[in-house]
Amino acid sequence: MSLSEEQIDRYSRHIILSDVGVEGQEKILSGKVLIIGAGGLGAPAALYLAAAGVGTIGLVDDGLVELSNLQRQVIHFTPDVGKPKVLSAKEKIAEINPEVKVTTYQERAYSGNIAKIIQDYDFIIDGTDNFPAKFLINDACVLGAKPFSHGGILRFEGQAMTYLPKEACYRCIFGAPPPKNAVPTCSQAGILGAVAGMLGTIQAAEALRFLIAKGELLVNRLLIFDALRMSFRQVTFKRNPHCPICGENPSIKQLIDEELPACDLKKK
Amino acid sequence: MIKGYDLPAQLESEISGLEELLNKYKRGEISATELKAHRVPFGVYEQRQADTYMVRIRCAGGFISPEQLEGVSTIAQEFGIGDLHLTSRQELQLHYVKLDHIIAIMRRLLGIGLSTRGGGGNTVRNIGAQADAGIDPQEVFDVSPYVEALTTRLIAESDSWNLPRKFKIAFSGSIEDKGYATLSDVGFIAKIKDNKKGFKVYAAGGLGAKPAVAKLLLDFIEADEVYAVAKALKTLFFKYGNRKNKHAARLRFLWLNLGEQEFKKRFDEEYALVKAQKLVPLAISSEAESVIDQSVAGQSLQTPDFLLWRTRYAHPQKQKGLFSILIPVELGFISCANALKLTRFLKIFGSDVLRMTKDQNFLVRNIHEKSLAEAYNLLKEALPEVSQPALYGKILSCAGASTCQLGICYSRQAARAAMNELKKSGLDLDKIGEIKINISGCPNSCGQHPAADLGFSGKALRGGEALYPAYNIFAGAVIRDGETKLAELIGEVPAKALPLLVKDFLARYIGQSGKFVDFQQYFLSEGRSVLKEIIPRYAQVPKFEEDKNYYFDWGETKLFSLAERKAGECSAGFFDLLEMDLRNISKTQAALSAEGNDQIRKEKLLGELVFFASRVLLITRGLDAKSEEEVYAGFLKHFIESGLINQSFQNIVAAARVKDIKAIAARESEALDLGKAVLALYETMDNTFNFKTEVARQGSVQKTDAPAVVKDFRGVACPLNFVKTKVELAKLKPGDLLEIWLDDGAPIENVPGSVQAEGHKILAQKKTGDYWSVIIEKKG
Repeated sequence: MSLSEEQIDRYSRHIILSDVGVEGQEKILSGKVLIIGAGGLGAPAALYLAAAGVGTIGLVDDGLVELSNLQRQVIHFTPDVGKPKVLSAKEKIAEINPEVKVTTYQERAYSGNIAKIIQDYDFIIDGTDNFPAKFLINDACVLGAKPFSHGGILRFEGQAMTYLPKEACYRCIFGAPPPKNAVPTCSQAGILGAVAGMLGTIQAAEALRFLIAKGELLVNRLLIFDALRMSFRQVTFKRNPHCPICGENPSIKQLIDEELPACDLKKK
Repeated sequence: MIKGYDLPAQLESEISGLEELLNKYKRGEISATELKAHRVPFGVYEQRQADTYMVRIRCAGGFISPEQLEGVSTIAQEFGIGDLHLTSRQELQLHYVKLDHIIAIMRRLLGIGLSTRGGGGNTVRNIGAQADAGIDPQEVFDVSPYVEALTTRLIAESDSWNLPRKFKIAFSGSIEDKGYATLSDVGFIAKIKDNKKGFKVYAAGGLGAKPAVAKLLLDFIEADEVYAVAKALKTLFFKYGNRKNKHAARLRFLWLNLGEQEFKKRFDEEYALVKAQKLVPLAISSEAESVIDQSVAGQSLQTPDFLLWRTRYAHPQKQKGLFSILIPVELGFISCANALKLTRFLKIFGSDVLRMTKDQNFLVRNIHEKSLAEAYNLLKEALPEVSQPALYGKILSCAGASTCQLGICYSRQAARAAMNELKKSGLDLDKIGEIKINISGCPNSCGQHPAADLGFSGKALRGGEALYPAYNIFAGAVIRDGETKLAELIGEVPAKALPLLVKDFLARYIGQSGKFVDFQQYFLSEGRSVLKEIIPRYAQVPKFEEDKNYYFDWGETKLFSLAERKAGECSAGFFDLLEMDLRNISKTQAALSAEGNDQIRKEKLLGELVFFASRVLLITRGLDAKSEEEVYAGFLKHFIESGLINQSFQNIVAAARVKDIKAIAARESEALDLGKAVLALYETMDNTFNFKTEVARQGSVQKTDAPAVVKDFRGVACPLNFVKTKVELAKLKPGDLLEIWLDDGAPIENVPGSVQAEGHKILAQKKTGDYWSVIIEKKG
């Protein structure tokens, strides 16, 4: 691959970085990243990955843009209300960086389709807003040996970790989804829009660093931040031998859909 | 009569040319670097504050007419500029000018007969002269008409704007050399021989980072030959001056490199060529007196404040009955409003009444004795400073770190602090008489410390781990035809203690001043030893933990740091730090070779030796290590891994890095050898911080391999030129060579360093014409 003059100019601030350079940028340009959920986390992640020149970006979301999304889902604009989210996001990416190839999946990820969708990608970003989806993505990535970035946000708080095959997975820490209504979801609890941006860009940075193979990913550690106090901390953990999916005697051998907790505030 | 230089016909179109470049820059068609190369020779510098500019206006011999001063003040006010600044080279400066206003200001200045061309860059700079030329009772004759006519001629010649470095010419009317002819690139001192007017010619002197007294070139030339001599020297400089290293480019370095004989031989060749062209000599305006009959009613005033003022500031001219008046302008800053008040007062006395002095004050001339009282009354209202002792106006300082990109110390604030200390002191400052107290913020001599009676130049010293601002102390300069000598280095003082030292020393001088004709005499007989004796009293710097004040510069709320200085141009300021560690090494070596060290002391000394040896040369690689770990890591990477220092020293440095004192002691001879190896390497360093071994390596490689790929990155601005270099390197195999071409200025100052920081090797860099060729070996 040889960079064009325009590419050299566009990506010059990457190329200058000694940890990126021409080689790193070329890896980014040939990289394929799947974003599941084109919402609060997926929007900023998609914007930065597109700007960075990630070769192929996949978008999975079955939703339509709603007015209440615009407070944090920065890839969607006011005139997009009512439009499929994956389409709205695809249009924006084309404007930021026309050389990015975008593949859209206007469907909900579930046990029946996820394995097939993720198989073409190098790295997966979990931008979903519910526990069943998060566990499903984890299970699919463990079984499919795909690296992924987990991200979760609530009110002013966010958490992120990155899974690499043979390292600790999301279930190693959390085991199974919390019982119904034990934990409020975003729509019940609210979210500061900027917190979504903070976490989405952390996930984008994880994806990029995975592609260029530089630095230390959030592997075997969970980054937790509280934007109300703006404090960051991290918890290290190890692979759990009793983990139901990646442990020595796994109980989960095929993909399952965990039950979606009932939500009091139904979408309007 | 003097009315100022004439503007060349092409100036207007040159300004339009610059305007075109500015527009291109704004449209993004040319880089900031390219614009800089054109704006600086127009006297436009960027200040420390981004996108804010300083515009310097040529005022030949410090002359400006009241009408012009009025014009400049009005223009400045219209563009929102509050102050005018008088420079130590007798020019006027406008600060805080916006990019969008530069051209408009230049056009307006053109309308009042003033130009900024040659205010900066590698050009013929403002021609200086003693401010009292034409009125000095000691002068042989008035040099002002020559200054004016030579300016007119040289600023019309296009090669005046493209010299290897700046070119400063000065005139003095007598052997007292008040115009600093013996401290300039070219100096003329008025002389009469066989009843003919003429000049003694000096050349190759100058202040700057490595100041030098000018050498006598010609004992006498007739006045008609001034232009031919100046032109021959300019051509000599144009042809043979060093265009590669701007730190060793001034005419004095050509003299140094060629030697006196060869320099004079080549000068004679150029001089003969110029004479063969039979150029018209300078048109010298008549020296007829230009005094307006001041018909103001005489007023007699006998109040004590008037008489005190008169002794302080009014001096009789050589013309009987006329007086000059010095108007003190503190540190050279005068508000436009005050400048306007001054011009209103001056206009009634004619157009040739005003000069700017080298110590940044105004000198008004041609005032009848009977008008002095009136002048005093008017001035007192307009400029309250006139009631102060003359000393305050005479403390000279460069801009320093507050606006200058090269500054180390806040020299102007230090000057103010010294003034405040003197004001509080209750000393009778009028007893001091003529004295030059000059403060430069760095070793470059913009504050003219090498020409001072008491001078200071800013530097950084280390107190434990932290840097603090300090000054070298100079004293005892003599400036006089045939006797000129630069001020000698007497010692150093922390910036915080500078005002106290000045006060203490001046108090001692005042106590003895009755016994001596002037300060120079005092200095030679007693002053030097008095100064040396009191310096140690101010040398103590408390530890950072005990008193942080010493680690802040005057007027600053941030800790002292060298971080904001621009890299690449800062070499001068760092030599002091380097020398300090060289002394540390030799001290430690001496202590180790002394008898009777017990084991514990010996271990400690060996550890220190390894530390100093590892630190001393780091700054040559642009590193300012802030911790021991950074020192050792930097040394291992840049000296041992790079092969500048033998790899066999790796173990002892590694031992020091983990603070393994026992391991160092066990390798005692290695530690001693490391000290020697570092000193030996330092001996091979040239003034661009390169080592001979590097140069030798460059030579051998060039002979054997030629780079396979040559890329022309001229016209590519930073950082894209570096990006493209990386792109090219990425296509090569380890060990392959790449040659790139870079523009002078920021590209050559930055790209090779960045390439090196990524682990590639720079095998050679050389200047070809106006660009650079750099040969890179891709890392393995």
